[in-house]
Amino acid sequence: MSVWNPENVIDVAESVGIASLNKDVVEHLARDVEYRMSQVLNEALKFMRHAKRTTLTTQDVSQALRLLDVEPLYGYESTRPLRFGEASIGPGQPLFYVEDEEVDFEKLINAPLPRVPREMSFTAHWLAVEGVQPSIPQNPLTDPRSAELAAKGSGANSTLAAISGNDNVSVKPLVKHVLSKELQLYFERICSAVLDEGNDEYRSAAFVSLRTDTGLHQLVPYFVQFAADKVTHNLKSIFVLSQTMQLLDALLDNKSLYLAPYVPGIIPSVLTCLIGKHLGSPAQDGATTHFALRDYAASLLSKIARQYASSSSTLKPRIARSCLKSFLDSHKPYGTHYGAILGLTMIAGAEGVRALILPNLKAYDMHLLEGMNDDSKKEQAEYVVQALMRALEMLEEDVVAMEGLTQTNGHPEGEALSERLVDAVGGVLAPRILASGRQSFISAALEKDLDV
Amino acid sequence: MLRKESSNVATLDEHGQPVALSFADRLGGQQWFFAFKLLREWIDNILDIYKPELRRLLWPLFVYCYLQCAADAYSRDARDFFSTYSKFFEEEHSDDLRALSGIDLPEHVQENEVATIYRENRYRLTLSKMAFATLIEFLETKESEGGKQITFLITNHLLLRTVDRAALGGARSLQRLMEEKQGEEQAPAEDEGIPGHHPGSANLDPNATSALNRLALGPLPMEPDLMEDVKAELTTEDLLHPPPPGRSSLSEQFEQRIKTEPLDDTAPPRDAIPFPASTARDVAMEVQKVRENRDRFRIEGKTGGVGPGVSVTMFTFHNTFDSVNCIEFSGDNTLVAVGTAESYIRVWSLEDRALTSPQDPPGFQPSASRRLIGHSGPVYALSFSPSAALPEPRTNGHIHTTTSPDSQPRYMLSSSADTTIRLWSLDTWSNIVVYRSHNAPVWDVRFCPHGHYFVSASADRTARLWSTPQIAPLRLFVGHDSDVETVAWHPNGAYVFTGAGVGDRTVRMWDLVKGTQVRIFTGHAGNVTAIACAPNGHIVASADDKGTIILWHLRSGRLIKRMRGHGAGGIWSLDWSVESTVLVSGGADQSVRIWDVQPQKETYAKTNGDVTKIDGATVGGGNTSVSKPSGGGGGKLKGREQATPDMISDFKTKKSPVYKVKFTQMNLVMASGAYLP
Repeated sequence: MSVWNPENVIDVAESVGIASLNKDVVEHLARDVEYRMSQVLNEALKFMRHAKRTTLTTQDVSQALRLLDVEPLYGYESTRPLRFGEASIGPGQPLFYVEDEEVDFEKLINAPLPRVPREMSFTAHWLAVEGVQPSIPQNPLTDPRSAELAAKGSGANSTLAAISGNDNVSVKPLVKHVLSKELQLYFERICSAVLDEGNDEYRSAAFVSLRTDTGLHQLVPYFVQFAADKVTHNLKSIFVLSQTMQLLDALLDNKSLYLAPYVPGIIPSVLTCLIGKHLGSPAQDGATTHFALRDYAASLLSKIARQYASSSSTLKPRIARSCLKSFLDSHKPYGTHYGAILGLTMIAGAEGVRALILPNLKAYDMHLLEGMNDDSKKEQAEYVVQALMRALEMLEEDVVAMEGLTQTNGHPEGEALSERLVDAVGGVLAPRILASGRQSFISAALEKDLDV
Repeated sequence: MLRKESSNVATLDEHGQPVALSFADRLGGQQWFFAFKLLREWIDNILDIYKPELRRLLWPLFVYCYLQCAADAYSRDARDFFSTYSKFFEEEHSDDLRALSGIDLPEHVQENEVATIYRENRYRLTLSKMAFATLIEFLETKESEGGKQITFLITNHLLLRTVDRAALGGARSLQRLMEEKQGEEQAPAEDEGIPGHHPGSANLDPNATSALNRLALGPLPMEPDLMEDVKAELTTEDLLHPPPPGRSSLSEQFEQRIKTEPLDDTAPPRDAIPFPASTARDVAMEVQKVRENRDRFRIEGKTGGVGPGVSVTMFTFHNTFDSVNCIEFSGDNTLVAVGTAESYIRVWSLEDRALTSPQDPPGFQPSASRRLIGHSGPVYALSFSPSAALPEPRTNGHIHTTTSPDSQPRYMLSSSADTTIRLWSLDTWSNIVVYRSHNAPVWDVRFCPHGHYFVSASADRTARLWSTPQIAPLRLFVGHDSDVETVAWHPNGAYVFTGAGVGDRTVRMWDLVKGTQVRIFTGHAGNVTAIACAPNGHIVASADDKGTIILWHLRSGRLIKRMRGHGAGGIWSLDWSVESTVLVSGGADQSVRIWDVQPQKETYAKTNGDVTKIDGATVGGGNTSVSKPSGGGGGKLKGREQATPDMISDFKTKKSPVYKVKFTQMNLVMASGAYLP
């Protein structure tokens, strides 16, 4: 009863012209074949071991055959594992063969040369310095399980663990951290409460809880993820978006939470609500409701920027850059421009308005004019105009604060002034600025000229 | 079929009428099965004090039962027997089991390597007198139920030695037995197994006394001329660069080194092993050695539970596609060489210096790496000729410019599956000599620590000694029963160590001059994969592919301790710190581990006792104690993965099996491996 199928022996015998073999002989030979195979494999394993490999290759087998003084098999040398195909030559008689890929000769000749494999090279790094393994990318993360094992192995000797470096290396848990049942329940409740349209009290209770409760730190990543999820999937619903913004606001208000590491995760959601192309559905919420949301998002953004600008030096520039980009893109709807202007005003302040908005006003004027003349867009454009006016007003305050009472009597009056104003801020804004009648406002808008 | 029927009839008979047929006739091939079953069950139920020693009987009897069964042409029964009982030995004897597994015809028994080793030799085992008496008594009472078969095997194939329980002393005390029972530690005793020798001794005559050959373990004395030259050189060096405060001068250091020879160490006579006359290069190297020895980072042993903080630099090879077979650093740490499965050798400069050759054609741009092509089979081992590291810039502001190219290695040896050993010149980067004599793949080759000689180990079961100028071997070291897998030199160059694979698994120590075995060390359960002798010349460490490192005391030939912690798969390299207090190992489990060499206190005392006895050289049969492995001193070993307490550190690499570890003369560890994502 050998593993090797005796039929194979008969097949081979027939192929060399021996028609009939005694059954006992066949059995005997089959057993012998099996033994020889295990002998070859044992020798091949030796070659594998000395090559310090863990996979047996065809090379090892041919070396083993050579060592046993047997002609090696040719044509099976391969650096990758061979694939064997199976064909049936009769019932229960599978035949195995090496699958050869069919190659079109024409194609092979015309194909570009295969890439040269990369050259062998070596790098050096410190695996250990004075008995401690430095945590650099070249060294593996210490597996807490192995640390545990080592600690056990060294028995009562805790210093051993210390010198083997297990205590100095920061251990990153590989498993997701486990939330207690209570926290999970809390999270679920808050999430459903926040999105509960029908129950105002319930909702505000949730926000109050978020604003004041301590010990929510474990949930912060989940809330951030929740907010991001809701914003991405509910762009059509102003309600969900504004609730999400409020949720983030509540979290930001909570004094016991340290949110700095999560700011990069929060910003995208807020920015989406600020400069998103289409927020809410005009049919349901009215065409202008989304401006309120944008206002809210802008204030939220400025709050974040105020609180965390110190912990991330690139935070403000990054926000400003994305706002400016949307502002300068004339294909975006007015809502986006509105948000962008708001954002810029909030983030960058008067300095930003002067440097980023003012120089672009002239170019933007054309776009604005187009909107004012189009009835369907007029209302939206009006919002943008107001946002711009607000930005310019900010500039005015700034100038006043900075320079005190700058004498502006050098300005020409009347027609000349209005011409210059149109030149600076465009035809839509100029009349409005003039209408305000405030000298300082006008000069703030014209500041560009003053600098020149 | 007939056999089966007859056995059925026989069992029926047992119930009713008296049995007409004898046990053997009745059962045919199954007699071995039942005999073994009988013994196994008996041993399982025996008193705890006898159990551990009697349990050691099971493995050899299993093998002999199986082979006997197959030899008697009961192939089906042999197969059944093997599949039923092999699982009990899987852990300790997996390699042997694999080698034996295919056997089921009488021809195979004749032919199989492992089978012949077992059939042609007697398996030696030591039992206490009481255990032996109980065994014999049992076998006699059960004579008709299989006891006869077992007795037959024991008388024909085993060599049971009996000793007084008292003589065994602590090794077989109740307490020890209990500890072992907890740990389930299964490891062969030092004198158990095929070679049939007294612990450590290489004398195979069963009636020989256990007196051991005397060894000359002292460092090789220096040539008087060379010593004078080195002294003069050191004195001038001291004048040029006075030692920094707190350090001794170089010549003082040198004097100290010569004088602190322990009295019990005899040095091998200088004229026994001829060397070529020393050159200026030897002087420079000796000077450098003294300097490095003084300036090295000192590693003391583990004191009070705090091990030394060892630094390890890891050189990782990328894009190797698993074709790297071996990695070797040169003695001066300027070169690294890699032997590949694609038959070529590649040498890099570690300092990214161009490797030039006088034979380069004009206009040739030498790079920092060279390919050496010549072998026609995978390259399995490399060895650089001795060289000392270049002087390093000092901290006191001097910048040394004495980077003489003199101290760089000049030659490299390589061994390959094409049965040849080749000598390469590192000046011209070409092959100078091909040494042919082995008739099977050469697994390992190693330069003598003083150069000139080298020793090779091959699958033809021999190790051979060569000298570089001669193309025929000077000595053949014959005695291993299977492939000689690895070799190492004693630091004084008068002895070599060889380790063998499946079937033999011994480490042997050979006298270079006489070409005879002077020590045999048994105790490994896997193939011996690496050997390294301590620089002080008294301890040798050997590692196997089951993840165990064993330390052996050379003078007494006894096991000092076992150190566990490495995963299975082979410990590819071992090396000692300059002070011989710390051992470093690297292996297939992708880790570099640092080990404390200091033996546990009680063992140490015992070994010391042995030392004095052996020095008397007249010890009679009294010294037959079987020291059980003491590495698991904690007695809390549950699994193989658990490290013994003498492991100081374990540095894991990132998916890179470690092929080579090396302590530099300054006690920095250099490790190397291939990144295999």
